[in-house]
Amino acid sequence: MSLALLLHSPRRLRFNPTEGFALALVVPALAMEAMFVFAPLVVGFWFSLHDVRYFNVGRFVGWDNYLAVLNSQLVVNSMIVTATFAALSLVITFSIGLSLALYLERDSRSAVLMRTIVLVPYVVSMLVGSLLLKWLLSQDSGVTQALLLPFGVSDFSILSDPKSAMGALVFNAIWRDSAFAMILLLAGLKSIPRELHLAARVDGASAWYRFKRLTLPMLKLPILITLIRLLMHFANSLTYPLILTAGGPMATTETTTLRIFRLGFSDYMLGRANALTFLTFILNVVLLIALVRVFQKNGKL
Amino acid sequence: MHYRREIVLRKLLSFCVNVFIAVVALAPIVWGLSTSLKPTQKILSLPPEIIPSEITFVHYRTLIAQNMLTYVGNSMIVSLVTVMLCLTIGTVAAYSLSRFEFKGRSLVLLIIIAVMSIPIASLIVPSYTLMASIGLTDKLVGLIVLYTAYQLPIVIWIMYAYIGTIPREIDNAAMIDGYSRLASLRKVVLPLCGPGLIASGLFVLTFAWNDFVVAAVMITSDSVKTLPVAIYSFLGYFGREWGPLLASSMVSIIPVIAIFILFQRYFLSGMTGGSVKG
Repeated sequence: MSLALLLHSPRRLRFNPTEGFALALVVPALAMEAMFVFAPLVVGFWFSLHDVRYFNVGRFVGWDNYLAVLNSQLVVNSMIVTATFAALSLVITFSIGLSLALYLERDSRSAVLMRTIVLVPYVVSMLVGSLLLKWLLSQDSGVTQALLLPFGVSDFSILSDPKSAMGALVFNAIWRDSAFAMILLLAGLKSIPRELHLAARVDGASAWYRFKRLTLPMLKLPILITLIRLLMHFANSLTYPLILTAGGPMATTETTTLRIFRLGFSDYMLGRANALTFLTFILNVVLLIALVRVFQKNGKL
Repeated sequence: MHYRREIVLRKLLSFCVNVFIAVVALAPIVWGLSTSLKPTQKILSLPPEIIPSEITFVHYRTLIAQNMLTYVGNSMIVSLVTVMLCLTIGTVAAYSLSRFEFKGRSLVLLIIIAVMSIPIASLIVPSYTLMASIGLTDKLVGLIVLYTAYQLPIVIWIMYAYIGTIPREIDNAAMIDGYSRLASLRKVVLPLCGPGLIASGLFVLTFAWNDFVVAAVMITSDSVKTLPVAIYSFLGYFGREWGPLLASSMVSIIPVIAIFILFQRYFLSGMTGGSVKG
């Protein structure tokens, strides 16, 4: 192609060959996301607006599925369960994670070993973790009986009493995810220059004062990120309740995600399951925005 | 003297705290392992034995009769293929994002962050809906493509951060020496990416090996069950027969714990989403 011809076709000139090459390299990744993350969301939304029996997409029903799930006693119950579980787990897991991070911050040999140990529950699968706790807390294992006997309780099943079942579920979350919070916070702690702490010490600041006035403000962004990731994880927990308590007793530990799972794969009501998925999704976004707002109110990030 | 005593006391206190933390973290796993090695009649005996007085592999043998090898094989296939796909597609995308300015680059980065923050549990029903309509449920391929789509963003993110630490001058020098763009990526940049590739590869590997939620929804036939789905169906099948149930759990977690201990540094960088120190 002659140079003159090229000059006369502005559209062709604007095309930069490196740009095309650069795009070609990201296209496979984008195609995967489009096909298996975004397309499902579109199809799911389509289903949520229709009367779906098994896989037969029936007539368009608008927001009926959404209204139906919002009017369902089980769904409302599952939302309360999720809120309780997520709030308790978030506060306790975060506190323990922060304590562990501060306690194991120094790179001494024992601290490094302890970090490895606390991370083991996090790296094993959630399924097996919950299964192991189920075994430990079941009446069959005899461990709980041995532990409860000194308190004069001999025949008590932790997983079949509503309050203690919720406690067990929260314990499952703490047991697995505290180390995750620790790692995220530890990365933040490490990025605080040592000189600042040394300077504060020279000025006579106590350990508590240094924590409050130096560590916490410097850790603001890592704390926010940790809270967001924990909250999203707890607000969408499926494996813990499914395996540990199976949602029981009497749906007292049935989280919203477990309700969705059952709507979809036990009742085969894919329209409603998708509707509840999108409702939860919106709720997640609202929660996130609220969390970020709280942080913004307390000074700049 | 006084000062010395304080140090000893402090050390003793921190030792006790350490032991307490370690017991809470590891007790369920050790207890599960110990139970899986006990003969059936001893499992329910009271008071429970922490260290079994008699060790047996009978529960592990029961598992082999229950097709365990197929499930482990399926899990290995799915995990390895997912890792390879994620690393290939992810690395070229990360290379492009880190080396070129192009239209839509920030949009691509935004999409990556958006997908990373979608909880997988909220994707399962829509995913099942789509996969069922295109006939990809109950197939290992279906799992592989879903896992790849879910894990690609984190791989791109880690590799993007990692390639950013490799000076551009290196690929420029390679191109002056006559390599094409692609060849300089393959022969010059890629060999320098080792730690980033290991970190993201391990992250994807443990995800695919451990995943239960997605597989539980997509898979129904016995011949394509992955290990976690098999464990879940054992939970229904064996009921309160804890021996085989816990033995299958150990088969699932022991490889992961071993890999974690060997490659801990890389694991941590995967968890914090990048920033690998080579």
